[in-house]
Amino acid sequence: MSRILIEMKGICKEFPGVKAVQDGLFSLEEGEIHSLIGENGAGKSTLMKVLYGMYVPEEGSIAVKGETYPSLTPKQAIGLGIGMVHQEFMLVREMTVLENIILGFEPRRGGRIDRRAALEKIEYYADTYGLRVHPDKKVEEISVGEAQRVEIIKTLYRGAEILVLDEPTAVLTPQEAEQLFCILRSMKEGGKSIVFISHKLQEVLAISDRITVMRGGKHIATVAGSSTSAPELARLMVGREVFLGGSPVPAAKGDVALSVENIFVPGEKELSKLRGVSFSVRKGEILGIAGVNGNGQSELAEAIAGLRQVQRGRVVLGGAEVQNMPPRRIREHGLSHIPEDRNQRGLDRFSDVKENLAACSVSEPPLSSLGVIRWGKVREFAEGLIRSYDIRPAGADIEASGLSGGNAQKVVVAREVSRKAEVLLASQPTRGVDIGSIETIRNELNRAKEAGAAVVLISSDLEEILSLSDRIAVMFEGRITGEVDSSEADEEKLGLLMTGGGTHV
Amino acid sequence: MDGLNEILSLVFNATLVRSTIRAATPILYATLACVLTQQANILNIGIEGIMIFAAFAAVTTSYFAGSWVLGLLAAIITGVVVAAFMAFAHLKAKADIFVVGMGVNMLAIAMTRFLLQRTFGVSGSFHHNDIVPMPRLNFDFGGNALLDTLFNDYSLFEPVGIVLVFVLAFILYKTVWGLRLRSVGLNPLAAETAGINVTFRKFEVMLYSGVLGGIAGAHLSLGYSRMFVENMTNGRGFMGVAAMFFGGANPFWGWIGCLIFGFADSLGSRLQSLGLPSQFILMIPYVVTVVVLTLAMMRKKRAETARKSAI
Repeated sequence: MSRILIEMKGICKEFPGVKAVQDGLFSLEEGEIHSLIGENGAGKSTLMKVLYGMYVPEEGSIAVKGETYPSLTPKQAIGLGIGMVHQEFMLVREMTVLENIILGFEPRRGGRIDRRAALEKIEYYADTYGLRVHPDKKVEEISVGEAQRVEIIKTLYRGAEILVLDEPTAVLTPQEAEQLFCILRSMKEGGKSIVFISHKLQEVLAISDRITVMRGGKHIATVAGSSTSAPELARLMVGREVFLGGSPVPAAKGDVALSVENIFVPGEKELSKLRGVSFSVRKGEILGIAGVNGNGQSELAEAIAGLRQVQRGRVVLGGAEVQNMPPRRIREHGLSHIPEDRNQRGLDRFSDVKENLAACSVSEPPLSSLGVIRWGKVREFAEGLIRSYDIRPAGADIEASGLSGGNAQKVVVAREVSRKAEVLLASQPTRGVDIGSIETIRNELNRAKEAGAAVVLISSDLEEILSLSDRIAVMFEGRITGEVDSSEADEEKLGLLMTGGGTHV
Repeated sequence: MDGLNEILSLVFNATLVRSTIRAATPILYATLACVLTQQANILNIGIEGIMIFAAFAAVTTSYFAGSWVLGLLAAIITGVVVAAFMAFAHLKAKADIFVVGMGVNMLAIAMTRFLLQRTFGVSGSFHHNDIVPMPRLNFDFGGNALLDTLFNDYSLFEPVGIVLVFVLAFILYKTVWGLRLRSVGLNPLAAETAGINVTFRKFEVMLYSGVLGGIAGAHLSLGYSRMFVENMTNGRGFMGVAAMFFGGANPFWGWIGCLIFGFADSLGSRLQSLGLPSQFILMIPYVVTVVVLTLAMMRKKRAETARKSAI
């Protein structure tokens, strides 16, 4: 057995109201790829951020190469040869690739930056592990895949022997992910040790020597990659045999309720600008919009909801052109919107649950009359929704920031679905939500559809798309690369469309 | 027609260059102080107050000690102490920097007024022959009138300010220290994961901005003039903030912003001598501030819109 590099024992880390990691256990051997898997919120990232010194644990010990520490700082961790590629890239967008890589560890001549020495070293790593990057481009100009390679070079440049990658494939196309695996394998052959955080079982099985499963902040099991299977891992991750999934429920289809006609919309990145997107949704159906994050899905949702300018094209809702109308007027035309980020747009975290629930209906009777809010009615209204959507803890006066992710999301879903609008636009409705809430939320979407709503479901979770949608449109680089009926759709077909392949299906 | 030409030549001549630089310099030091802190993502609105405190310290020390060098030193120390207080309140006690800054500004006006009365028994302003001013730079150009006007009789810190623009640009964009500082302002998490102590770095630049603010105040009371007047900064610190925004926290563009303000100021005083109402003239720098900031923001917005456009 090879040398043990890292041994984390009894790690506890709490955030206000949440035990993120309890009695966390993890070890890493030299030269292995060790995957850390679990559902969203299982504590994988938190445990690794403790290792990298970004969080100080309340309890536990971290042994690195035989030395034991109660906690580390990022600087210490880097000094010990630990590098981390974070889920949210830690890059300065306005600076060049080179500047980002050398930041904090700059080769210098006098006080000046020694550009040549930096370039040489970057080229060395680029060549050794096949990490192609453009050193002089600014980070805001490069693709997500390249930004990830920059992050990896950055950790190597800082002398990392141990690499932690936090959900590296979440932002990649399947092809880019395959490239990443080649890079990881060549790094492993070069003697590096790798921690790979993921919740995608196939990937994990393809690449891992060992696999550690976490659930609810706890260590569940550590198994050898060669002696396990996807169903076993799934059972360990979820803690029960039952799987979500299923297939779309039948419902009577009606007229077209929403149609998007050849719209052009400005985007945060070159690849996320919408260029000529068209589709329509009928009453009583769910249109799933699949794609790798950052291919224009966020921009599409914002454009429909009136939160982003439409430069060209039309959005027709309930027979009226609504593009570039203020969000509230679009809502009055029959749109409900579950925004992708509940903390930014879905909720006011500092208002209480009843205020958040009533936000869309408070301006009309019976919740208010003549501009005066009738708090008794608001409370009644909110308590009704809390009961029927099983929001826990069941208090109308709790501040929204005190709710767990799943329950906070249920507040948003309850508010939007209960309006019974003609069109329901749901953007990443179950992202970062526990499994129980996922079930509730998916059932609500189905129920809205059965009640005759036209539902647009934007999700980067293929399983979610496949189990809910009647039709599926796939987005890639700001365009719709294909539309398939759910009966003909499978992961492979969608995966191909998600990478821009096969425009005609 | 001749009359118009005469007026134009009265307004636009070589001395306009001089007076532009003269009027721009106090603002320039404030700008550079703000550029430094802004690179660490701290809006140093309190620079106005730092300047007032420093101007008072400079005059008082110069008067009692008979030395402009000691006056300057006292101003710098004062500036650093005030900046350190602001940094402590903002970084340690987590107070909003805008509130702290405005507090310092109001305190500066009131406290120097009080001290002026206590120390010199005067109110409004204090001038005295014992106040030793900063030296002026004179060269012999063999009596060439144009060169004399353009290059002679600058107060020491007027050319120093221009040199500082380039020094600061070099430090920010060419040195390791500058790279790290900019990363702190642009993405503190990235800086932190690179092992940079973000809070320490912010504290550090606040102190340096105190040094620059100290020089700004000393120059105002011992170089630009030779006295202390209540609220003598008269918005120059705020204009420094505006020039910093105009230049997008780049020292060079910030300097250009200062020159625009200086130009408006000196143009104003010339127009006043031609009989325009003084209220109108006094308004010019502030109108220019608003116009310049609006233009800078519009340019930024337009560039952003173009970058994001899908067409």
